[in-house]
Amino acid sequence: MIRRPRSDVPPDVMERHRRVYRHSLAARITHWLWALAILVLVMSGLQIFNAAPYLDASDKSDPSARVLAIGAAGSDAAPVGVTTIFGRSFVTTGLLGFTDDGLGERAPRAFPAWLTLPGPQNLAEGRRWHFFFGWVLALAALGYGIAGLVRGDLRKLVLRPSDLPALWPMQLYYLRLRKRPPPYEEYNPLQKAAYTLVLFVLFPLVIVSGLALAPGVDSIAPWLTQLFGGRQFARLWHFVFMALLIGYFAVHLLLVLSTGAWNNVRAMVTGWYTSTAHPEIER
Amino acid sequence: MRRRLFLASSLAAVGLAGCANVKAALTGGTFDGVLDTAQALDERVIGTRGAARLYTPADVERTFRVNGLDTPSDATYDALVADDFHRYTLAVSGAVERPDRFTLAALRALPQRAQITRFDCVEGWSAIGRWSGVPLGTLLALVRPKPEARYVVFRCFDRDPQGTPFYGSLDLQQAAHPQTLLALDLNDRPIDADHGGPVRVRIPTQLGYKNTKWVQRIEVVASFAQIGGGHGGYWEDQGYAWYAGI
Repeated sequence: MIRRPRSDVPPDVMERHRRVYRHSLAARITHWLWALAILVLVMSGLQIFNAAPYLDASDKSDPSARVLAIGAAGSDAAPVGVTTIFGRSFVTTGLLGFTDDGLGERAPRAFPAWLTLPGPQNLAEGRRWHFFFGWVLALAALGYGIAGLVRGDLRKLVLRPSDLPALWPMQLYYLRLRKRPPPYEEYNPLQKAAYTLVLFVLFPLVIVSGLALAPGVDSIAPWLTQLFGGRQFARLWHFVFMALLIGYFAVHLLLVLSTGAWNNVRAMVTGWYTSTAHPEIER
Repeated sequence: MRRRLFLASSLAAVGLAGCANVKAALTGGTFDGVLDTAQALDERVIGTRGAARLYTPADVERTFRVNGLDTPSDATYDALVADDFHRYTLAVSGAVERPDRFTLAALRALPQRAQITRFDCVEGWSAIGRWSGVPLGTLLALVRPKPEARYVVFRCFDRDPQGTPFYGSLDLQQAAHPQTLLALDLNDRPIDADHGGPVRVRIPTQLGYKNTKWVQRIEVVASFAQIGGGHGGYWEDQGYAWYAGI
């Protein structure tokens, strides 16, 4: 989108600048609740991870099935942080393994204090925050789903089979390999794919894989923990889903910033979005 | 675009620098009351239902990892170890109709239950072992809790380096769960000192820290508010949730 001073804009283009009510109150509230909840959940989750900084693709802890390990090695005089993924080790001193302990020194610690909540090592407090905001995430997602069903406005951002043919052309357009985007309505097919994946696949999976770690849940629904390959495997999945959510967030942030940051953020606060009809879309 | 990115990254840098102070203020305990409402919710929704998964002998780990603290340094305990626990007696008292004492031989004479279960540590690791001993419900049935009884409190040998005594608690429903044991054996041998012997709580439906080690005596109470730090256990007094099914 190219911004031009108003005076330059011909009247017919002015016509195309329309304010549309894009985000319902429920969507706005839940959006910011999710943002807060995910921030707290990721940071407190890394605090919890630090208590056992490895992930095993098995039910019980098993070093032979270790997929990721973040630890400290080397001599006491010159410790180094070492990250091992699928058996390949990397020196990650300062970033992972031997990091800032939140008390002004470096210590054997998987994720550094600036990334965890609380900063200094405190598993009990990390769990407090994690489980509270787990409920916030789950209840906000549930509330959003119910509000969306009642209002019927989920359909505009859920990917449907009819959107599939336009997915690849849209990707080509994003990659600058195609001049015009394929025709779409309020959200383009790639946006729909991303939102559908996050809201209806990643959110449930990250919540359910976390629950599968709990011995109380395993006792009620052993099939759930088994579905993820056992308790330690569920811990690995939980971490993977977290990483995917962060990946989504990075792309989300990039697109929010690059497609009119102010307009986008304002719309997610007030609900009103200034729509610029894409002159390049053939309708 | 560059200007905006620069602005955003400067903001992020300032945010990160101020973050440590904000985080310290937030996690200093001010919000614990609010955050702990989630624990009540966890307990209500998950609770102690169903049964922990049972494993086969092939899954058992011979060198079972130690959770919490290792061998107690306690004169009374040392004296009992020297005597191979022949003089150990487990007193059960408090809000019960028939307070009683049990030697290890008496505990072993009661009906035993053995189960191969996964031990889930709060830190995130798990280990599988064969635990056997007396179902806690069997023992409680013998001493008959009074109507006002709500919790079973386990008083332990040993203290932490600061001198704080160990203890733990379960409610009567958790205690009566058929898989909740007063364990005497781990992997077919008497539980050693590191693993909480001679008598240890084994509750596979909850996390490891509820599996109270080195049980010296049992007290059945209406409330644990006046015991220790008032949160129902040594680990609970350190900030861990009393309900540890999650």
